[in-house]
Amino acid sequence: MFKNPKLLLSLGLFFIPVVVFAHDVSSGDQEILNNGGLLSYIWVGAKHMVTGYDHLLFLTGVIFFLKSIKDILKFITVFTIGHSIMLIGATFMKIQVNENIIDAIIGLSVLYKGFENLKGFERCFNVKAPNLFLMVLLFGLIHGMGLSTRLQSFDMGTDQVLLKILSFNLGVELGQITALIPIVLLIRLWKKKSSYQAFYKACNIYLIIAGILLFLYQMAGYYNIL
Amino acid sequence: MNKKILLGAVAILLLCSHDMFLKLDNYFLEPEMPAVIELVNGTFENSENTIDRNRMLDVSLVGNGQRTEVDSTQWFEKDLSTYLDFTTGKSGTWIAGVSTAPRNIAMEAERFNNYLDHDGVVDMLQYRKDNNELDQDAVEKYSKHVKTIFQVGNDRSEDWKTVLGYPIEFVPLENPYEIHAGHDLEVRLLLRGKPLKNQLVLIGNKEDHQHAENGTHSHNGGEEHSHDENEGEEHSHDDLKEVRTDENGIVKFNLDSSGVWFLKTIHMEKSTIEGLTHESNWATLTFQVGSGDHSHDNASHSHDTAEHDHHDHEEGGIPSYVFWIGSFVLVGILFFLFNRKK
Repeated sequence: MFKNPKLLLSLGLFFIPVVVFAHDVSSGDQEILNNGGLLSYIWVGAKHMVTGYDHLLFLTGVIFFLKSIKDILKFITVFTIGHSIMLIGATFMKIQVNENIIDAIIGLSVLYKGFENLKGFERCFNVKAPNLFLMVLLFGLIHGMGLSTRLQSFDMGTDQVLLKILSFNLGVELGQITALIPIVLLIRLWKKKSSYQAFYKACNIYLIIAGILLFLYQMAGYYNIL
Repeated sequence: MNKKILLGAVAILLLCSHDMFLKLDNYFLEPEMPAVIELVNGTFENSENTIDRNRMLDVSLVGNGQRTEVDSTQWFEKDLSTYLDFTTGKSGTWIAGVSTAPRNIAMEAERFNNYLDHDGVVDMLQYRKDNNELDQDAVEKYSKHVKTIFQVGNDRSEDWKTVLGYPIEFVPLENPYEIHAGHDLEVRLLLRGKPLKNQLVLIGNKEDHQHAENGTHSHNGGEEHSHDENEGEEHSHDDLKEVRTDENGIVKFNLDSSGVWFLKTIHMEKSTIEGLTHESNWATLTFQVGSGDHSHDNASHSHDTAEHDHHDHEEGGIPSYVFWIGSFVLVGILFFLFNRKK
């Protein structure tokens, strides 16, 4: 039935660890943060990134678009700089935004990337897509605001606040690297297969659908519909 | 004069409502995981001072059929709260309890009357009115006995009904984690081990602000009346349900919304001990009712943090595993379709 059953299997194997270890950042983490010192902030930050599907979906979209490892590293770095600036700055300055709204915008960033990868701007609007470098930086800042909002939902106490924020940020980066390695490997391996175009199209249409659903879900939460 | 100032200051502190509660950030915990219980002394929302270890006559954790005395070194202080560090055990419905040693407090008559009114000790206030004692100063011996019930893992156990043997304590007749919002809950109030009848109990819910609509409630004998805004200046319990225990010492009330629920009562009696005029025993109980707007009971379907949590506003979101499984299926279907078209 499938021309590349091995690839499908590898896709399954790729997702299984994420499913098994999926672990939302919960109030149980508050206990961990209360007791574990700075290391616990690294752990919770990493956990949030590994299980924070919206961040990973956006990055997956970015990776799909890029051809060389050098480009991937460059854009991931830009995204990291963007979210780190906002995460550290907003948390330290106690800037807060509505969690549903920021997560809804992050959902739109996922939709955007899938749309752009499928050449939606050219096909639908007959215009060139905005500069990816700037867009990744912009979305990095927005994702950073989402991370900051989540971090600020925890009681961080009054001592070592900056170190705690930096530790959380370090955890986010470690989690990001951990999650991205298998994603990059999978995409690059699949690129050599004849079914890559189908995989590319399927994943990017999925990103559009997921982005819309994430947006609607968060807006429903904002208006207390759910 | 100095004595009056001192009495006034003490009374003002008392009027800040020094209720004691055991609280958790999340009443649904994972087995064998570190957890923290907060001991607040003040209002339900804010602690106003910490509690010294030597005031704690008993600190107990009850789970898996065993009662464990908690070591005093497991407590720590942060800001104005006292916290208990512990590691949860196996899955089950657990209890934590703290009983404090009695202390004495002296109050001039007016302050004492205000405190009785403010904290819902209306029977003693009525007694003073009926017996022309409103102008009498008081020396009260008081002690506080607090419990919380929380759920560890998914399995229910019978520990929630354990009587800790405190001078006064609430004991539910049903596991709060087996019911959801909309159901009634019955809780028995024991004074020195025996059911305490006709005792006023104040009941609050962290997320419920609707039951005080019209400001109507009843004090004695169920006769309804309302407090207007100005009149309610000294009433801290306007937002609380006021229920009296029946002949069997049971209060029955409707859990009309999800969230954290608390019960509190102050039983006061005249004292015959020399140097004292009154003796009071304070009891509180806290627990959480999961959101009842989906499935039969939130408490009965997985409380692994991997699946969902109960802080909807703070941590809401699609459970990761649902998202990833759904995503995998969707990508698989799309891939299958596009690969066939090729």
